Amino acid sequence: MRKDLITSLVLIAFGAGVVAEALRMPRYDHLGINPYTVPGIVPGFLGAILAVFGVLMLARTAIAWRRHEAVPATAADDEPGSVPRVLFTLGLTLGYGGLLVGNLPFWLATGLFVWAFLLVFEWRPSYAAGAGTAALVRVGGTALLEAVLVSAAVTFVFQRVFLVTLP
Amino acid sequence: MLDGLGYFATALVDLFTPGTIFNVAWATLLGIAVGMLPGLTATLGLALLTTLTFKLAAGDAVLILVSTYVGAIYGGSRSAILLNIPGTPANAATSLDGFPLARSGRAGEAMGIATAGSFLGTLVGMLALAIFAPLLAEAALGFQSYEFFWLAVFGVVISGRLTGMDDPLKGWIAGFLGLLVAMVGQEGIYAYARFSYGSTDLAGGFGLLPVLVGVFGFAEILWVMKNPAYESVKNAAGSVIPRIGKVLKHWVTIIRSGVIGTFMGLVPGVGEDMGAWVSYAVARNTSKHKEEYGKGSVEGLMSAETGNSAAVPGAIIPVLTLAIPGSAPAAVLLAALFIHGVRPGPLIMIENPSFIFEVTAMIFYASVAILTFGLLLTKPMLLVLRVSHIRLMPVIFVLCTIGAFAIASRVFDVWVMLGFGVLGFGLRLLGFPMAPLVLGVVLGPILDVNLRRGLVLSDGSLEPFFTRPISLVLWVLILFTFMLGSAAFGKGLKRMGDRLLGRRRERS
Repeated sequence: MRKDLITSLVLIAFGAGVVAEALRMPRYDHLGINPYTVPGIVPGFLGAILAVFGVLMLARTAIAWRRHEAVPATAADDEPGSVPRVLFTLGLTLGYGGLLVGNLPFWLATGLFVWAFLLVFEWRPSYAAGAGTAALVRVGGTALLEAVLVSAAVTFVFQRVFLVTLP
Repeated sequence: MLDGLGYFATALVDLFTPGTIFNVAWATLLGIAVGMLPGLTATLGLALLTTLTFKLAAGDAVLILVSTYVGAIYGGSRSAILLNIPGTPANAATSLDGFPLARSGRAGEAMGIATAGSFLGTLVGMLALAIFAPLLAEAALGFQSYEFFWLAVFGVVISGRLTGMDDPLKGWIAGFLGLLVAMVGQEGIYAYARFSYGSTDLAGGFGLLPVLVGVFGFAEILWVMKNPAYESVKNAAGSVIPRIGKVLKHWVTIIRSGVIGTFMGLVPGVGEDMGAWVSYAVARNTSKHKEEYGKGSVEGLMSAETGNSAAVPGAIIPVLTLAIPGSAPAAVLLAALFIHGVRPGPLIMIENPSFIFEVTAMIFYASVAILTFGLLLTKPMLLVLRVSHIRLMPVIFVLCTIGAFAIASRVFDVWVMLGFGVLGFGLRLLGFPMAPLVLGVVLGPILDVNLRRGLVLSDGSLEPFFTRPISLVLWVLILFTFMLGSAAFGKGLKRMGDRLLGRRRERS
């Protein structure tokens, strides 16, 4: 219910912002154009409709709140550890796509990303305690092998076989 | 009609070449693998293949994409049956009866039934494509800006209503957000760069493929990484080849689910998942053995798989005749057609009359391929399901990055993919459906240009928007869909229905 409340408020603010931006768009009065074709007309309407949807959502949440009803939850149940897993995935993927790609050669960026991803997610706390140095080496080695294979295969298949330009 | 039969026969013969058969075989097999692997949806598979087939001839590229599409929607049934995870969202209804069947030691039979259902469903949809697409294209020749405007609104509203079943408001919000996303960049009349703030990248707008790859690829990776554990049935005991008598026993379910699936595919932005759910719900309501549903009903499994597969050709009908996608993967197909210089739309039967029947023939060959592979390659396919998710996800993300970048060679598109992936994941966590968002991005330019063009033609009058016959039907349908989504109207309608039924009962 709280999620819906925040979503509705964000939506109202966003819709209002879009309407304000649409009003700032040029109207080309000096060109004598048909006023119904100005660029801001459609985004303005869409922003207003989104804001109205936000108000409807807010009203619905408020009514449910007053009646102490639970709004049907549509999101799936979380397993323990899902938040750190998502955060690590986000960090790795955004780091690769947002920073490495375009700044490093593609094969190197890809190899580093795959290696780091496998290392992070196949890591077990017991390795740090020194109980499984051999296991750590094995995980690191397998990850490195997969990273090299993926990087080489992807670069070869896309660039040489399908003639696709890589970043 | 006879012309169509002639075109279809010619296309079947023309396509029967070793090169075509080879392309159908590998693309369908790849589609099945894509569908089987959770994290790789049909939409993402098609988006990535659009990149790969960029340099191929238009006919080959369309053939590969259509085969992959048919394969992916079928392939998702394997993971739904054996892992209880729908490989694509379209197979969610399949897992309801497929997994209980597999758990009770009838995995082979379940896979056989799903294969037969998918094959027959595709055939029903294919027939509808061949018969109705030319008629729809002819009818659409009379459409003007007013009708196209309402069609765009109708697509977003109906898609939001049907994909956001529990909460239509969230479906509509997603749809209108998609329309707004499409407003970014230069508009089609004065080339004014909206919401661009001096950025040349933003002035080019958000490409459909990077948005799709973000929403259906990157967001899916985050989703899978959130909950990667699953229960699986790895022992596919029993014969996969179903007895023909057992399949034909369900002929009513097959025809009904095929028709429902095709219709759900035809409705803009609704697609295969609703094809399966609605077919399943109708089969359950009309079944003599309702109690078996959800516990391993062969009829239930058959209805879900026939429904989702029939929606594939169904979703291609509006792509070819109106340039409006029937589902998210069909949106990629539409983008690919434009990239390859094929102009879908009402003029297709005039400019390229054989094309619809060529696509029909491609679907036929792809359906034969899923039947063959589905029944013969059970064991090798099980290997695909043994691939660890954690090992697969970085590879899929690398493919997403390439898929976003390759069409326009812009690093900006990679950022778009990342941004929409995070947005899609966040919206999914909040319970917003993704299909209306994507449909909104496709329909945004159509809505924008046609509303303004219509207003110029009518000199500012709204009258033609409301009085032309097809416009009238469309806006009444939109209004009705909105009203159906409101709880008060729904309750009122139910009360009225109960009262009418009560009166009838009293009389009898």
